[in-house]
Amino acid sequence: MAPKGEVVGRLMKAAKRPLIVVGAKILEEELDGKSLLSYVVELSKCGGIPVVATAHTPKPLFESGLQSAASMGMVEITDRLRDRNWSLDGKGPHDLAIFVGITYQLQSQMLSTLKHFATHLKTVSLDRYYHPNADFSFPNLDEKTWIQNLDMVVGTLKSKSQ
Amino acid sequence: MSTVCATFSRRTPLVEKGPYRITAEGLQGLGLAVKNLDVTVGRLAMEVDFEKAGPTPKPSMTTLRDWDMKLLSRYKPFYSPFCDQCCLCTYGKCDLTRGKKGACGIEIHTQQARTVLLTCIIGAATHTAHARHLVDHLMEKYGRNHAIALGYEVNVEMPHARTVVGIKPRTLADLEYICGYVEEQLTHCLSAVHTGQEGNHLDFESKALHAGMLDHVAMEAADMAQIVTYNFPKGDADAPLTQIGTGVLDLSKPVILSIGHNVADSVEILDYMEKHELGQPGELVEVAGLCCTALDMTRYHEEAKIIGPMSHELRFIRSGMADVLVLDEQCINTGALAEAQRVRTPVLAVSEKACYGLPDFTERKVEEIVDALATYSIPGALVLDPEKVGAVAPLVALRTASARNKYKVIPDSSSLKRLAESCTNCGMCRRDCPINLPVSEAVYAAKTGDLTKLAQIYGLCIGCARCENECPYSIPVHSLIVGAAENKFRTEKYRLRVGRGPILDTEIREVGQPIVFGEIPGVVAYVGCSNYPNGGVEVAKMAEIFLKRRYIVLTSGCSAMSIAEYQTENGTSLYEEYPGGFEAGGLVNVGSCVANSHITGACMKIANIYARRPLRGNYEEIADYTLMRIGACGVAWGAMSQKAASIATGCNRLGIPVILGPQGSKYRRLYLGRRDDVKSYDVIDARSGEKSPAVAQPEHLIYAAESMEEALVLTSKLCIRPADTTKGRMIKLTHYVDLSKKTYGCLPEDLPFHIRTEADIPITFKDEIIGFLKEKNWRPSEKPSIDPTLLPRLVYGR
Repeated sequence: MAPKGEVVGRLMKAAKRPLIVVGAKILEEELDGKSLLSYVVELSKCGGIPVVATAHTPKPLFESGLQSAASMGMVEITDRLRDRNWSLDGKGPHDLAIFVGITYQLQSQMLSTLKHFATHLKTVSLDRYYHPNADFSFPNLDEKTWIQNLDMVVGTLKSKSQ
Repeated sequence: MSTVCATFSRRTPLVEKGPYRITAEGLQGLGLAVKNLDVTVGRLAMEVDFEKAGPTPKPSMTTLRDWDMKLLSRYKPFYSPFCDQCCLCTYGKCDLTRGKKGACGIEIHTQQARTVLLTCIIGAATHTAHARHLVDHLMEKYGRNHAIALGYEVNVEMPHARTVVGIKPRTLADLEYICGYVEEQLTHCLSAVHTGQEGNHLDFESKALHAGMLDHVAMEAADMAQIVTYNFPKGDADAPLTQIGTGVLDLSKPVILSIGHNVADSVEILDYMEKHELGQPGELVEVAGLCCTALDMTRYHEEAKIIGPMSHELRFIRSGMADVLVLDEQCINTGALAEAQRVRTPVLAVSEKACYGLPDFTERKVEEIVDALATYSIPGALVLDPEKVGAVAPLVALRTASARNKYKVIPDSSSLKRLAESCTNCGMCRRDCPINLPVSEAVYAAKTGDLTKLAQIYGLCIGCARCENECPYSIPVHSLIVGAAENKFRTEKYRLRVGRGPILDTEIREVGQPIVFGEIPGVVAYVGCSNYPNGGVEVAKMAEIFLKRRYIVLTSGCSAMSIAEYQTENGTSLYEEYPGGFEAGGLVNVGSCVANSHITGACMKIANIYARRPLRGNYEEIADYTLMRIGACGVAWGAMSQKAASIATGCNRLGIPVILGPQGSKYRRLYLGRRDDVKSYDVIDARSGEKSPAVAQPEHLIYAAESMEEALVLTSKLCIRPADTTKGRMIKLTHYVDLSKKTYGCLPEDLPFHIRTEADIPITFKDEIIGFLKEKNWRPSEKPSIDPTLLPRLVYGR
């Protein structure tokens, strides 16, 4: 059985119209000296995946060299994602939404919304704690294992882009 | 007169369709001969010309349904199921995931709306029962005819009663009448939740909005009853500053602690002490409170002490500092009795709604109750007689205080280290923490004697102790957190302005126009519970930012206390730095939870006093006015309770948007607008009857923000209204743009929607915005309405 990080990487590679939704916690989490924000920038760049910046993340993302595709609240992007007729570029619905760095309870509720009302969409959580409402989530992880898995996601995506 | 008499048929609903008043100097006929006849029939019949009667006095569940549907077509319900099943009847439990229906036919979104309705009914019923208890108790004590009088600066005494019920209350008996109406309506609403009743999510939402509206009516009745009888401040902008924090207590004296929301018993305690020469609070005995009952105690007697918001409950009980604990009603930690027993604090439960399994000693003599409690023959007693509680509480505190000194301890650093020894940093406590605090790492660090991480959590902790329940090694995590911050816990001491109650008519006359014109950029209310995502300090910081920007900032309940616990750069509290008036840059603490009705009431009073819109039975027009013209926004950053849900929903029906903290998403339902669906925001121009755009003004009706920064920007945006004058819009946009740039580093994407003509562009950012508008191909609005409405009947000439 492939490690979890590799599975997520493959899911992201296989998606035709993925997007990453990032929350305020990307500004707080430091993983062995590397910020969660840096992981997001890396994921977006190596996977060519657009980022929706929620809460107050657009400015620090921009300062880290990533122009987000859109800036809106977490509940607003969730509201848009349940609408089959909406997409960031107007070219058809997204098929995969990857959530990262979002306050646990808020993320849980938003994933519940999508589970019930956006059946056209697959959801992934890259955060450290298990999200039963996501189609794919890491189990509860200690920090070290979380870092390993995130590195694995990035590695899998890079293997495609090379 | 005989023709008048003819209206008295059994089929005539006199009470609903009054007034029926018959006067005659002499009347003869039908075998009767009467002199000086003067008859009025029904309570509504007593309303004589205080205002022209509006179309909807005492609305039923469906009377305002059309208004609700207008709101719900603009702001569509957004559901986040907290549970995938329905388990309310024996058909279930029914799995409602992925489009499946329950055995009764219900779908997931309808089930969510049903749960929201239930939540709002619970909240509204709680305030209504509170009001009912106070009114009954106070009528017994002060008489049914005790006057509702707030002084010469308040003529519009109870705007909710006027607008919803259609009466001008004059006596306590009128408050009883109001309670009766609300109770009846809530019963109807509750019946709609039953299996096989309402079956449409929008109709459930309409009923939830109804329950929310009723909640404000009940809160107003509750607060008015206590204001006029207990002589609380009556809109006093200079209400005294009082003390808050554990450090304000003199622990060498016996301590009485009241927890909850209903101040009736605490008032009796204060009265008893005065009458029996126990001195002012703090002289011989300390009288303190937690949660809203504390706020109301200080409205009665400024020397009473406030410990803090609900989040401080468990830590204070565990500290053992209370020599007697009085539990009245609402927001009581259900484990309070067990916690009190551990530190040998006798408990008095004083409400029928919260008996805690205690023996009923109501009919016993005071001495007998005191003996039983002071000798610990019982852990606590149920005493449903406020006067008796007033005597028992101080006497028990005096008897037990010295013997209890050994229980007034907080774990020291060496015992903290020992208690943390079994921690393996498994992370269960962190995962179970409602706000995901890094508890596990902090406890693990304490093993090595490093208490700094635990101490940092102290200011953020919401005090639920779920971490302890989850710990596989039974570590008393919450006690560790408090122990690590022992010095702060013991010494924290702040200042808070006593709750002032209603907003004066004279204040409304001063600021009504600048608010409606937009020259005062907004009225922001920080309300609700203490389930904050990052501590109460965020509420205070947000309030400070808007005070500096000359918004009117209101507050109540736990939020009012959290604001007090913040110190500015000058080392003082915001209450000491900003005036308490309803004015630009004013910080208005209205009081406890039920005083929230004065915040919404102020909006109604603006419509009435400034704009001369009649209130009486005229809810829809007043709500339309509020939504279109009054730049008010509520922020319930730590909303936790069902009461907070119903208060917010009541604000929504009145046209006031509300921002919740991230936990607010757990209420399951938000009302979100879609600015990419521009037509959904269309209004009607009341002068021409034509449609006019008002995109995203306000954008959402109830919203959960993830971070304080996001909430700040959104607050400034949600104060924008379609009817802003050019100058007003320019001022509001100046704040919105400035906060957006500071937070996001750029101009807001939706700025073009808010600029109707170039005259709306803030001068400060003019060049930058003009360039931005060119990029976005912005065009001036062709038909901006200066008199917008959602109600076709308000178009002139119709």
